[in-house]
Amino acid sequence: MKVYIYKIFERFWHWTQVTLIVLLAVTGFEIHGYYELFGYREAVMFHDRTAWAFLVLIVFAIFWHFTTGEWKQYVPTMKLVKEQISYYITGIFTGAEHPTNKLVYNKFNPLQRIIYLGLKILVIPVMVISGFAYMYLNYPNVAVELSGLGLVAAIHTMGAFFLIVFIIAHVYLTTTGHKPLSSIKAMITGWEEMDEKEAREMVISEMEYSLKKTKEHFLSEKDSSAFLDKALEETEEKLGVKKVTKFRDVIANSGAGYFKIDSTGHYIEVNKAWVGLYKYGSIEEIIGKHYSLSRSGNALKQLDETFNKVLSGETVEHGLVIRKCKDGSVGYHTITMTPWIEDEKIKGVQGFILDVDSTNAAKMEWDNN
Amino acid sequence: MKRIIYVILVLIVPQLIVYTLITRFDINLGSDESEEIELVNYTKKADKVIRKVVDHAKFEVLQQEFERPQDVTLACLSCHTERHHEIMANNHWTWDRSEKLANRDSVVVVGKKNIINNFCIGIGGSEKTCSRCHIGYGWEDKSFDFSKEENIDCLVCHDQSGTYVKAKGAAGYPAVGLDLNLISQSVGSPKRENCGVCHYWGGGGNNVKHGDLDDAMNSCSREVDVHMAIDGEDMSCVECHKTENHAIPGKVYALSSEDKNRVTCVQCHTEAPHTDKLLNDHFQRIACQTCHIPEYAKANATKMVWDWSTAGRLDEHGNTIHESDADGNHNYLSIKGTFVYDDHVVPEYYWFNGLADHLLITDSITETPVQMNTLEGSYNDKGANCSTGSCSKIWPVKVHRGKQPYDVVSKKIVQPKLWSPNKGDSAYWTDFDWDNSIEAGMKYVGLPYSGKYDFVETEMYWPLNHQVSPADKSLQCTSCHSSSPDSRLANLKDFYLPGRDRFKMIDYAGIFLVLFALLGVIIHGGIRIVLRKNCLHDNK
Ligand code: HEM
Repeated sequence: MKVYIYKIFERFWHWTQVTLIVLLAVTGFEIHGYYELFGYREAVMFHDRTAWAFLVLIVFAIFWHFTTGEWKQYVPTMKLVKEQISYYITGIFTGAEHPTNKLVYNKFNPLQRIIYLGLKILVIPVMVISGFAYMYLNYPNVAVELSGLGLVAAIHTMGAFFLIVFIIAHVYLTTTGHKPLSSIKAMITGWEEMDEKEAREMVISEMEYSLKKTKEHFLSEKDSSAFLDKALEETEEKLGVKKVTKFRDVIANSGAGYFKIDSTGHYIEVNKAWVGLYKYGSIEEIIGKHYSLSRSGNALKQLDETFNKVLSGETVEHGLVIRKCKDGSVGYHTITMTPWIEDEKIKGVQGFILDVDSTNAAKMEWDNN
Repeated sequence: MKRIIYVILVLIVPQLIVYTLITRFDINLGSDESEEIELVNYTKKADKVIRKVVDHAKFEVLQQEFERPQDVTLACLSCHTERHHEIMANNHWTWDRSEKLANRDSVVVVGKKNIINNFCIGIGGSEKTCSRCHIGYGWEDKSFDFSKEENIDCLVCHDQSGTYVKAKGAAGYPAVGLDLNLISQSVGSPKRENCGVCHYWGGGGNNVKHGDLDDAMNSCSREVDVHMAIDGEDMSCVECHKTENHAIPGKVYALSSEDKNRVTCVQCHTEAPHTDKLLNDHFQRIACQTCHIPEYAKANATKMVWDWSTAGRLDEHGNTIHESDADGNHNYLSIKGTFVYDDHVVPEYYWFNGLADHLLITDSITETPVQMNTLEGSYNDKGANCSTGSCSKIWPVKVHRGKQPYDVVSKKIVQPKLWSPNKGDSAYWTDFDWDNSIEAGMKYVGLPYSGKYDFVETEMYWPLNHQVSPADKSLQCTSCHSSSPDSRLANLKDFYLPGRDRFKMIDYAGIFLVLFALLGVIIHGGIRIVLRKNCLHDNK
């Protein structure tokens, strides 16, 4: 199964970065005196030009990371680092499952986060700053002159070696995906091949992300169908799903439950996924029933509060809640509830629930932090 | 199919564009030979307007019968009145300069008059022959009257007939039998032959001293000197050493230790003559000469070593010996000792900030080889005001190595009396007796001599300025930026030079890490391949 995970800019950025870093490394080590390839003068000229191109690319990439929120992908976390390391040391050999999954807003595993962050710190401050200092501060015709090139050259050369080491490790680790080449193919086409389970979680997380974002639009828009359309569009765009199916079908297929409740607290509409999550036999079984059957104890009190808030026009989003299923067992899901508006009046509430299994429950917690 | 095109367009094409822009875009290389060099303060030969100058043959005063060369001088001064004041202030006349030497608190008087070097050592006691290169008549000894204007020799600089010569050992007087009317009527602005007669022949032979000032430059190819080449701009000395009122600029040699009144490349070429910024930046720390004078003594050999200690060997008849090397250059003369000549010499390179010190005859020797002069400078010497270019730069230098007599007791270089027209006058070149000649020389210059001498090694530094090579012969990046022992800057170790220097520890550690990573990948990948096969079977 394939999922679209690398956006076009990301791929352009990545491969351009590859070209530039390879050029910098090749010319840099020629300047360093290891071999003769372009000729010293050309090597210096190419190194300098490439460095400038690299700087431009970095500026674009920083801009992109911040405007899209992708920077969050690099926020380091220590959770599951141990698991990830032990996976690479032992699990990978025995065919164990990846301890972490690729999610759209969590593309990197914790080890990757640390390494990529480290790389960014290495490349940008260490290589770029030492490099430009090397390039421009070596003669007395500038205001700040270095007392000699030794220190920047030492830092720059060390950085270059680390970068080579990183590239080796990085290229190798790309072969640890679903299939050896699936990560590299993904960086070319944008679509990564994953196993079913991984893909499903990926889609769920993507939807949740879209819904969260759409909610913001919804707050300012009175028309709830526009809300759905927006959510649909964004999700489609993110997932690369063709607009052949209805949004609700997508939700149904992906396992997200949809519900609509009137102002008296009775279910007017639910989808199949919802019914499945609550372990009822059919949709009809639930229509007309009061929502109180979905919770017990404190959870019900909480739901009452939420329901009233939403009726008064608020949109509420819950992290993790515990549902009561038909057979009395419990499950976990997240919930997004927004007012259901018709003819400019709040007629009730509607929303989505996203199932969270118990292992994922732990992860959701830190993703939300 | 569509997706493939898309991938090519978005991912591959930009890479090609980036790569091409970086490696093929050629505006900067600027090695295009046909490119006109931009010049300031200079009119190209082709654009020069040739003016008719005064015809001195028409002046009656120059048609008189001259009895003495001094009469010519007086004739000159009868029209060019007061010019003798200019000449008498000029160190071509005074042979002395008051210079503030590096590392000395007070100004000292140094000049050809009293300086010592490691060629003919010094003029003390031998003026009568040395003053053949003095622009005057009659400097035989200390009694010479430097204020007597008729003693100025106008002709040696201004003769254009090419027939004027000064006689050997004749205190600067011209040879007998010259046609002084012809000569005085020919006068004009000095040509390079006029300057060259002394400046080429310093040290006792053509190109001996400087190594970049050679008789051959009167008529040379661009290979030897781009500026003076007859098939090029054919420049004379005074086109750079622009002289007004007999004040001749240009001094950077052993006698000229203070950084003033210099002639520079920048006069015409500006501080940014290259199209490549990186090269222009090099100007901050590297003299133009360093790259553009890749070798010197290109037409004739120059003297690299002069060992006085072997002098005095005579043949069985008591006659002096002349021996030459395979190229016809002297390598032994009884009067002077052993020499080593060399041509197409690769310069040595030193930091130089324009200031130099000089060993005075009164200075004690503190180190060997004795440094006859010292060029001041280091990488870290960035000058009080670098942007004006007064920080140390790397210069190409001819180093002349010698072995010459010194006083073993007082530890000072001594001045022997070298020349006399007569035997038995204590002159070394006639009597071959060091003791006597040193005693006579030291007595003449008024300094004590213990009576015990020996020979000591000495070194003298001559920054190079002439014999600029064509651009395509100038040094390339890797002439210096190379870790090979042939790097021109292999010995200039006081700074980090990219391409030449590396930090060994970083390199070893770096290479180790890279190999370690590769090994890790191979082992990890290997285990994966072996075990995966098994696991896949298990899973099925
Ligand atoms: C924007 C980033 C960079 C800048 C501004 C930069 C700039 C420079 C400069 C100015 C030099 C001195 C030679 C010259 O004048 O060209 C240099 C040398 C070098 N660069 Fe870079 N560089 C950058 C990135 C890199 C990268 C990514 C690598 C390697 C992966 C690298 C490897 C080297 C090496 C090995 C040297 C030789 C150091 C020495 O021997 O002293 N550089 N760089």
